[in-house]
Amino acid sequence: MSAFIASLPTLGRQGLARHGFLAVVAVCFVGFAVANPSFVGGANLVNILSGAVIPLIVGLGMTLVVALGAIDLSVGIALDFGSAFAIVVLKDYGAAWYLAVLIGIAGGALIGLANAVLIVRLRISPFLATLGTFFIGGSLQRIFTHGGGPISYRRLPPEYYDIAVGEVFGIPIRILIAATLLIAYFLLLERSTFGKKIHAIGLQSRAARVAGLPVGRLVAIGFVLAGATAAVGGLVASANLRMFTPLAGNAYLMDAIAAVFIGASMHRDGRPNVLGTLTGVLFLSMVANGLNLMGLDFNLKDALSGLILVAALALSIIQHRRRT
Amino acid sequence: MTAPVPPPTPVSPIAGAADFLVLEAISKGFPGVQALDGAGLGVRAGEIHGVVGENGAGKSTLIKVLAGIYRPDAGRILLDGAEIDAGSPDAVQAAGIRFIHQELNLVPHFTVAETIFLGQELSGPFGLRTGAMRRAAEAFLKDTLDTDIAGHRLIADLGIAERKLVQIARALIDGKARVVVFDEPTAPLSHTEIEHLFRAIDALARRGIAMIYVSHYLSEITRICHRVSVLRNGRNVGLVDPVGHDDADRLISLMVGRDIGDLYPKRNHAATTPWLTLTALSQPPHYADVDLEIRRGEIVGLAGLVGSGREELVDTITGLGRPTSGRIVVDGRPLRSGSTAAAADHGLAHVPRDRRNDGLVLAMNVADNINLASLEAVSTGGFVRRSAATTRAEQSAEALDIRPKTVTTAARLLSGGNQQKVVLARGLATGASLFVLDEPTIGVDVGAKAEIYALIEHLAAEGAAVLVSSSDPTELLGLCDRILVLVRGRIVAEVTPATTDLDRLVALTTGGEPAGGLAA
Repeated sequence: MSAFIASLPTLGRQGLARHGFLAVVAVCFVGFAVANPSFVGGANLVNILSGAVIPLIVGLGMTLVVALGAIDLSVGIALDFGSAFAIVVLKDYGAAWYLAVLIGIAGGALIGLANAVLIVRLRISPFLATLGTFFIGGSLQRIFTHGGGPISYRRLPPEYYDIAVGEVFGIPIRILIAATLLIAYFLLLERSTFGKKIHAIGLQSRAARVAGLPVGRLVAIGFVLAGATAAVGGLVASANLRMFTPLAGNAYLMDAIAAVFIGASMHRDGRPNVLGTLTGVLFLSMVANGLNLMGLDFNLKDALSGLILVAALALSIIQHRRRT
Repeated sequence: MTAPVPPPTPVSPIAGAADFLVLEAISKGFPGVQALDGAGLGVRAGEIHGVVGENGAGKSTLIKVLAGIYRPDAGRILLDGAEIDAGSPDAVQAAGIRFIHQELNLVPHFTVAETIFLGQELSGPFGLRTGAMRRAAEAFLKDTLDTDIAGHRLIADLGIAERKLVQIARALIDGKARVVVFDEPTAPLSHTEIEHLFRAIDALARRGIAMIYVSHYLSEITRICHRVSVLRNGRNVGLVDPVGHDDADRLISLMVGRDIGDLYPKRNHAATTPWLTLTALSQPPHYADVDLEIRRGEIVGLAGLVGSGREELVDTITGLGRPTSGRIVVDGRPLRSGSTAAAADHGLAHVPRDRRNDGLVLAMNVADNINLASLEAVSTGGFVRRSAATTRAEQSAEALDIRPKTVTTAARLLSGGNQQKVVLARGLATGASLFVLDEPTIGVDVGAKAEIYALIEHLAAEGAAVLVSSSDPTELLGLCDRILVLVRGRIVAEVTPATTDLDRLVALTTGGEPAGGLAA
């Protein structure tokens, strides 16, 4: 087998390795389609994309933080804060929808700011700092809601409700929001001076510091942006359900981390990158959707999606190794 | 800690003996490069044989051919008259040829004994014989390497020199070593640690082991080697036999293929306005009451041993560290301490001593590294103009003769000298007016050294203020207008090259010459 692989032209071999993961995605796609033809129906494909919206938004912020060489365990909390701040100002203060959007984003940014202070000022490692924020933020939500009950608000301004259900030229607004953020993050991380500096810090923070980059400030900005971005996910979630559900955001944490690292594993230099994260998110969304359609036992689903993920990554890593 | 190793006696014990290891007319080509072109090497039993050459001369290829990592296109390897299967690492190992690589590669939480016996553990009917291994490791270190290290200590708790000795012991513990190859063994070591290592190498020579010693440090080569082979462009260009203390210049001329009377550039700069001023700068216990002024167009040297506070002082000036008291002023404006970004805003460019960890982002390419500190100059509205960035990096690489010329090469793939030029290019690109260069030529070969010196001279001639901190007194004397000597955290002397020779400068740095203000 290895002799066969070695005999392939170099280009073909490299292509296979780089795109090994994509090959697995394709195989899964075909498999799900065979198991249930409605999987490839137009409506279901939109379902897959819609299901990927919030994980993608959260994953983009996570991509930035991981590119900085850090991790953010509190993105789910930032998402909750976004949703809570927006719903509360709408319901209790009758705020206009755009103000609610801004305040919601500010709520997520607040979580990012707390992380930034812990990490940059107090020099706590990002893992522990954001774990602390994760616990504190979760507890605050339970206290504020007297034990974790949702705050629902049926009479949302239609503009706010449209964040989740509206369409422009037949394209769901939530998908447009995700696409806009995707492009913005792509430009930010892969094309801007900020992105170059972020990658330099993530690769070798001391060298970045010696070069004169304001490492602390950039790390702080990164965490604030990640929090604010996750809050946008919270806006979509709260508009969709017309309520704020405490601690709902944590459901996206592991998906976001998984998507970022799937994306990084596909990258030539193993770096977190925006398009990789997109692929990871779509993969996870597709697997979740496909397994749903197969009507499998709810309890079995997580195990199966985990297995598919591990198998896909193992395959792409084996091929990666063979290439080098 | 130890008495210095006596220099090899003029009539070497190995003089006239037949070569024990012979590499004969080795050629090895890679696509686009003929790395070795009929190069050879002959090493006698009990000899320490130096191999020198600039980066790219073929030293490391020759060593890799000997190690069996590369199969030579032509040539053969003979050990004690018998030919070894070139290109087979196993055959080389079985023949008793051992390699002490530059990197330590030891597991930090293993004990000394575990490390030395890794893969060849002693075991008895009741499992591993831990005690026996510990005693054997200690005895081996004592007898063979003339050193005392307890077998139960953790690698993590050892100094770098002790780790190096453990690494050597691990290669030799099976008692079958007949040839040992050292690749830059002293690179991470301090002066006293080097003495320690040399004592061990000397002990091995007296046991009749043939040794190959590859190093950039010619002072070490001339000190401990019996003979030296010089490589250039994949060929032998000289065999110095016997090698003596005053052969360094001869070796350098052979290595670069020209006379190096011009290693240091002609002085062509003139001091103008005061630029960097330190006033009563203190950071106990590292340094205290440091006053210093550097003018534009001036190169000021900082001399001092390891532990003299020189590193901490440089770190404070560049914003990596903070003083406990005192002031740093650049161009009349006080510099906020403890911030490299603030220092950069004041026009300071730092070339750090630890190039690989602190100087470059190794995984990024040359262009990104050159542009990293001045991205705004090649961007519009926060977005990098990629063609402008590449063009600027290419011009910079051209001007500084950075090789390879392709700026998309990852920085980690460059040689030390070229990496250093990239760090300098990054500072130049910012338009810095104050350069702080910490060990600017450490681990750099002679040819690149001359180029870096020329560049430093050029910086001063263009009106930059330059501070050079170096452990190489020759370099300071060749380059600087004034040299400040730091002993135990205090500036004890300020000398000029015109009035000071090497011996006096060394004496001053070691505190050997009476001078005021030594009290800590």
